[in-house]
Amino acid sequence: MSETFFPINDLLRRKLQTSLIVVSLILSVASTLFLLLFCDRIGFGISLMAEGMLTVGFSVALSRFIIFIGILIFVIGALLISFMVFVMMSQRVRDIGLMKAAGCPNDLIFGYFMNELFIVIFLGCFLGVVLGIVADFAFTNILISLNFQISQKPTNLWIVLLIFALYFIIALIFGTKPILDTTKIEPAKALSPTYYLGISKESGFKIVSKSGLTIKIAMRSLFRRRLATIRIFLCLTTVFILVTVAVAGGIIADQTTKSWVEKAIGKDVVVIAHQEICSQYKLLLSKFYEAEKLSQFNYTDNKYLLSDELLNQLNQTSEIMRIDMRLILEASIREMPGYIFNSETGVTTSIGDSHNGVSLIVGVEPEKVLNEWFLDGEFLKENKSWEAVIGDSIAHKMFTLPLKQKLLLFGGQSNRYFDVVGVCVDPINNGNVTYVPLKDLQNFTGITKVNIVLVKIEAANDRTEVLNKIKTNVKAVNPNYEVFELNEILAENISFLGYVWSTIMFLPAFSLASASLCLMCYITLILTEQRQEFGVLRALGAKPKTVLKIVSWQSIVVLLSSYALGIAFGVIITLLILVPEPLVTSFTIIEIAWWLLMALVATFIFSLYPAIKFSKKPLLEIMT
Amino acid sequence: MPTEKMVVLASNLCKTYEVGDLKVEALKNVNFKVKNGEFTVISGPSGSGKTTLLNIIGGIDKPTSGRIIVFGKNLGVKDEDFLATFRCRKVGFVFQSYNLVSTLTVAENIAFPMEWNRKPENHIKKRVEELLEIVGLQHRAEHFPSQLSGGEQQRIAIARALANDPPLLLADEPTGNLDAKTSIKIVEILKMLKENGKTIIVATHDEQILRLANQIIYLEEGKLVKPVE
Repeated sequence: MSETFFPINDLLRRKLQTSLIVVSLILSVASTLFLLLFCDRIGFGISLMAEGMLTVGFSVALSRFIIFIGILIFVIGALLISFMVFVMMSQRVRDIGLMKAAGCPNDLIFGYFMNELFIVIFLGCFLGVVLGIVADFAFTNILISLNFQISQKPTNLWIVLLIFALYFIIALIFGTKPILDTTKIEPAKALSPTYYLGISKESGFKIVSKSGLTIKIAMRSLFRRRLATIRIFLCLTTVFILVTVAVAGGIIADQTTKSWVEKAIGKDVVVIAHQEICSQYKLLLSKFYEAEKLSQFNYTDNKYLLSDELLNQLNQTSEIMRIDMRLILEASIREMPGYIFNSETGVTTSIGDSHNGVSLIVGVEPEKVLNEWFLDGEFLKENKSWEAVIGDSIAHKMFTLPLKQKLLLFGGQSNRYFDVVGVCVDPINNGNVTYVPLKDLQNFTGITKVNIVLVKIEAANDRTEVLNKIKTNVKAVNPNYEVFELNEILAENISFLGYVWSTIMFLPAFSLASASLCLMCYITLILTEQRQEFGVLRALGAKPKTVLKIVSWQSIVVLLSSYALGIAFGVIITLLILVPEPLVTSFTIIEIAWWLLMALVATFIFSLYPAIKFSKKPLLEIMT
Repeated sequence: MPTEKMVVLASNLCKTYEVGDLKVEALKNVNFKVKNGEFTVISGPSGSGKTTLLNIIGGIDKPTSGRIIVFGKNLGVKDEDFLATFRCRKVGFVFQSYNLVSTLTVAENIAFPMEWNRKPENHIKKRVEELLEIVGLQHRAEHFPSQLSGGEQQRIAIARALANDPPLLLADEPTGNLDAKTSIKIVEILKMLKENGKTIIVATHDEQILRLANQIIYLEEGKLVKPVE
């Protein structure tokens, strides 16, 4: 028989096994390629969406997630493929032993099975790549027709080539190993069940209960296939890391970033200002989710400065808990180089450059601010002067080590230096904001008044009633003054963040489906290998559900152990690396637990399909 | 001495297998009886339907038509759960290829049919020791099947079949894979069981086993050629 006809005939002879492996390979390659292409699109889409939107700090957190998820998806694909090729070739160990026993030379055996491997992995990788491209194209168009913001850029051919080449090589390496190992050993060993089953003597005979018996058979079967078991365990662990990072990380990051935004904007905060300042303030806040360029606006126009009468009236309103007076304006700023002195070496290093930019400058009374920011460094203090807290976008775009540097504020009576003491995450003007003490800004500009007031109402009062009272009083002072609540804009900011994170959380669904398929493949391997054994058990009185229990136990052990490890690593990665200062509430934990439990149950149920089908087969069919 | 109580009653038993478009008639109108305590041998050339008949008696397979009554139950109309319990309590099966569970030790292989039958722990332990003594393999209790020879595996398979002390023992070519010397040990065990009054049905060509038979059912191309008393 020629080296071409043998592999083809052998593959056709094992129709079920061959088709299962080829289909699994195709799906693994296709789903991985699809996910990477789609990640590329989403990542690109997010950066497109985020152009002129989202603060730089948020964009960095998102990109970190997408890169990490992309790497995990690639690793999972490689593990899935190596597992399936290994399973396929391991099933041929006995055949190789038989051929060796019949006198077939080693090089011929190696040639036969390498050709077989080559045919299968080429088919799997090639058709997988084609299916992956088609799925990406179809899915993108479906999402676009549903009005989702997905990039329509052409398919990244480099990713396609990389996946095909790398996965082909991985499959070749992992598939060749069992063939090489078997061709090296004596035929008797290859034929002996002790070689491929790896069973050893056990000391002590203990009577086990009926349920103990099923567990015992299940556990021993798992251990005798230890190489396959280790591979599926690694594969599932990586999948569960991905699921945890995407789901738990997504939920935690979603809630944490939402809380940053909520605290930075302020919940139940009421803004009082001239109606044009109010409109401008809304636009500044909406820059986080809408890429609109703001037109020139003179914040310090006299008509926008609030009268003392209004401030007195607000001070006298008993229902107002706190008043946060601010002077906002737009000004040019410059990064000033700083110096770091190393006390050990005595060397002074210069840091930073002299980047110029335009920032929204907000003068606040440090002890009276209503907002809380996610801060690096510290906030302004009442008794300190000429200090500044800058937004994360300014910090990323203009500064090298902002907390060691100064900024120069242009304009006013003369330019002034401010020490940068903190960097805050703030959606206003998309993070292009600088907070300075109000009195310093007033001294700097010579403007003694403020142009916007933020107030917080006592919780015990009827909010609508108090709001109406404030509105009436404010309008009575000046009909051009306006009162509005920030809650609506806050909700828009939060829902935009929610949309971005939910897009990321949707990615692991595909990997989970591939992993379930892989586990199904493993269960099929169990059934193929233990077919005769299950037949005997049934012939001796075991009910079909006993067989199902043995297989279920094996699936449960593999799933739960990989689940536990995957979740542990996933949570550590999420909390320690991906999300700084995570916000974890009991509700967050319940929500994450619910999603992760659903993933486990879905994978388990899906994996049992071959076993359920097997248990329904007539006994004679199993034994034949 | 065998009593007149009927254990197996087969009437007009037919079994047809469909292989693609092809129909293979494995059994054609087979009629016979097996009385309690009788040693029956089913004989005939390869492909004559011996294993099929044995499988039908043991509730592993069902007839296409006709009736198979074993211990008063028509097995052809029973569901899988009933048949599983029936096989566990009423029948002991010995296969030609031993079919021991490779993941269980010798002792565990003998014990598990009793565990399924919910026998108490001390009874199981005692019975395993007893059966190992009968088949002469006490020293092999903690070994796995792959560590035994073919003859030893078949003796363990017989011990397992006897674990629940079933009233009916079915054996499919129990010496088919063994050499003459090893076969003698199996025949001796069967002979001892016959002397103890166990109802035994064996499908075999083995002359030594044929000599033990009270009744021989000879099959040829699925037909009962001549029941020999």
